[in-house]
Amino acid sequence: MTDTITIPSRPRAFRPATTEPTVVKWALIALCLAVLTVLLFAPLIAVFDEALRRGWAFALVSLSEPDAQSAIWLTLTVAAIVVPLNAAFGIAAAWAITKFDWRGKAWVITMIDLPFSVSPVVAGLLFVLMFGANSALGAWLVASGFPIVFAVPGIVLATLFITFPFVARELIPVMLEQGRAEEEAALTLGASGWRTFLTVTLPNIRWALLYGVLLCNARAMGEFGAVAVVSGKIRGQTTTMPLMIEMFYNEYLSVAAFTMAGVLALLAFVTLALKSALEWRYADQLAATHRH
Amino acid sequence: METPVNIEIEDIAKEFGTTAALHPVSLTIPSGTLVALLGPSGSGKTTLLRILGGLEFPSAGRVLFDGSDATGLTVQERRAGFVFQSYALFRHMTVFDNIAYGLRARPSKTRPPAAEIARRVNKLLDLIKLPDIGARYPSQLSGGQRQRVALARALAIEPRMLLLDEPFGALDAKVRKELRQGLRDIHDTTGLTTVFVTHDQDEAMELADLVVVMSMGRIEQVGKPEDIRSRPRTPFVREFITA
Amino acid sequence: MIARPFTLRNPTPMPGWGLSFGIMVTMLSVIVLIPMAVLLWRGFIGFGAAEMWEVVNRPRVWSALELSFRAALVASLFNLVFGVLLAWVLVRYRFPGKRLIDAAVDLPFALPTAVAGIALTAIYAPNGALGAPIGEAFGIRVAYTELGIWIALIFVGLPFVVRTVQPVIEEIDRETEEASATLGASRLRTLTHVVLPMLAPAALTGFALALARSVGEYGSVIFIAGNLPNVTEIAPLLIVIRLEEFDYDGAVAIAIAMLTISFALLLAINLIQIWSRRRMGAV
Repeated sequence: MTDTITIPSRPRAFRPATTEPTVVKWALIALCLAVLTVLLFAPLIAVFDEALRRGWAFALVSLSEPDAQSAIWLTLTVAAIVVPLNAAFGIAAAWAITKFDWRGKAWVITMIDLPFSVSPVVAGLLFVLMFGANSALGAWLVASGFPIVFAVPGIVLATLFITFPFVARELIPVMLEQGRAEEEAALTLGASGWRTFLTVTLPNIRWALLYGVLLCNARAMGEFGAVAVVSGKIRGQTTTMPLMIEMFYNEYLSVAAFTMAGVLALLAFVTLALKSALEWRYADQLAATHRH
Repeated sequence: METPVNIEIEDIAKEFGTTAALHPVSLTIPSGTLVALLGPSGSGKTTLLRILGGLEFPSAGRVLFDGSDATGLTVQERRAGFVFQSYALFRHMTVFDNIAYGLRARPSKTRPPAAEIARRVNKLLDLIKLPDIGARYPSQLSGGQRQRVALARALAIEPRMLLLDEPFGALDAKVRKELRQGLRDIHDTTGLTTVFVTHDQDEAMELADLVVVMSMGRIEQVGKPEDIRSRPRTPFVREFITA
Repeated sequence: MIARPFTLRNPTPMPGWGLSFGIMVTMLSVIVLIPMAVLLWRGFIGFGAAEMWEVVNRPRVWSALELSFRAALVASLFNLVFGVLLAWVLVRYRFPGKRLIDAAVDLPFALPTAVAGIALTAIYAPNGALGAPIGEAFGIRVAYTELGIWIALIFVGLPFVVRTVQPVIEEIDRETEEASATLGASRLRTLTHVVLPMLAPAALTGFALALARSVGEYGSVIFIAGNLPNVTEIAPLLIVIRLEEFDYDGAVAIAIAMLTISFALLLAINLIQIWSRRRMGAV
């Protein structure tokens, strides 16, 4: 007897074998959103809520106060020095590592990554030990009028340490993947080393470079622990924006603290927006989207 | 056009670390010939080609171009047009800019004016039979088209020799046949001394004036295609070459 | 043939070796290696291993070290679980605002730690938007207790696991899941026995990164922590206190203790990763 196929009177919803039941899905989504709200979004809202507690005018005035102004200026200055230096390092290191074969690369890469495993406070400590007045070198520097610790150079050095790996880590995987053939081709066509780098390599890595610079800048402007240790927190002279936030906060100047925090939060938003834009448009040219 | 270059390879050897990619090999490539370096992977043929192009330094030996020692010449000085296995087109430049690259890279004394560069690039685009793709990017081209652009780019610098590393490697059979004929035509048109690396013996036999059979860093036999086929001189050649 | 003297690399025509290697080594030395060496020299030779032990082997220091590592572990474990879940949701599900949420996950990377610190404190303080209701409902205080430290460290470490696991989920071959289903496994079983093991190495890496970051975290924590010695005082804070007292040797000793424990932890995690990769084989 032949089997007959009974057609169900109402089509059953087909759920592919590789998905969870809809109820489960939405429960998980809700759970994630709840945790993120409590962890990420609520604090952010709190920043702006506190900053604007007494209105826009009050908040903006707090930013124009001399200490706030010098903090902003110092933060920008430090970033303007640190980011290009670390970008130069990142490019040099990535070139050396990806365009040549030599032994010890793994060691060097580990050492470049070292700052990630070190507490910011310890980073600050390093430079206090090297250049602080308690060391021979430090005492001499202070005497000669070029103090490093408790002065801007120290802040620059500590921030350099903290943000050291950012650009290199973005460039190395990308340049490894891109290989050497295009550079070799340029050489065979008569281009000098510099021309090859500028016209062939740089265009190929520009998005990864921008991405690394972006992250480096965000961290450089936001660094707290290392700078707290090495700067001496001299008001109006060696206080960066994050340090100023702490000072205002400890003095119960809530609006001033949260307004400055709000400015940095806005900077974080811009960083994230640019970062996402780069990831969406240029995913194939970024290390971030390949990293495991 | 200048006389195509005569290449002498004298006892060229190359070591990578402790591995010998090339035991000392010697070879004469007469001016204007189309030569195939044929062998399986690991035979050293690509290494030899790269040494000719200046992309590797030999561990020992000399290379002579028209009788003068070229071993010390830099890559840029050699004017060896090189077509890479992966074509290595500059992914961020248009086809036009790729081909024009070598001319623009010349020092201002020898650099042609922009109009002249454009004229030459267009002439080359005609030569490779792709006159309309100048504004496209490499990612928009097919494999066969990229190969031809890579060839045009190498020819743009008015090289004294043409070196090709597995030029037909990654392409399907029909495209390969067309490009083989294309290469032969270009060789005949330009008269350049041309050396190409391949592991495909049909290709080598069909195209080349001279075939150099290599294995494990040594040259097994050199000769015209018919000679290699009919008179294999070593066991390797006998085994490798199927009639 | 000239006998070549020992060289770091075989010379090739690729240009820029001297310059690039030179810049790399110089900056690496000046900014990272020499300062680290000075720290270690100061600790082991200037002060002495026995003396350092003596400084570290005190209740307040042990409390601080334990607190820093325990809180980091708890937070990172939470991030391990939640991070995998979040990565899964972000890759596999579609819902309104997903792109925004995906971008927001990187916020802890981009946001200055001090900003996070005061923001979290504002929320979780006893009179804060969440701290108040939690206090009323459960009688728990969040800010100024260890719980607050956990939350701050969860914030800080959140992106690490998510970002390392996401690419792996994206590359999972659906056919493996389908195969599991055809063999009769429930969806849950497929997830726990087939998918999760594939994610394990990446998740472990993310865990290690989050841990490394959380152990030394300072800015996000000191506002919410309360900083009571032996109770809510983290190790980095203790280092700062020693520095303010000009007790450099003490600061160095604690710093080296932190580095040693971190190193041991990361080594252990690395070994676990190697073991798990060996068991899993190539994916």
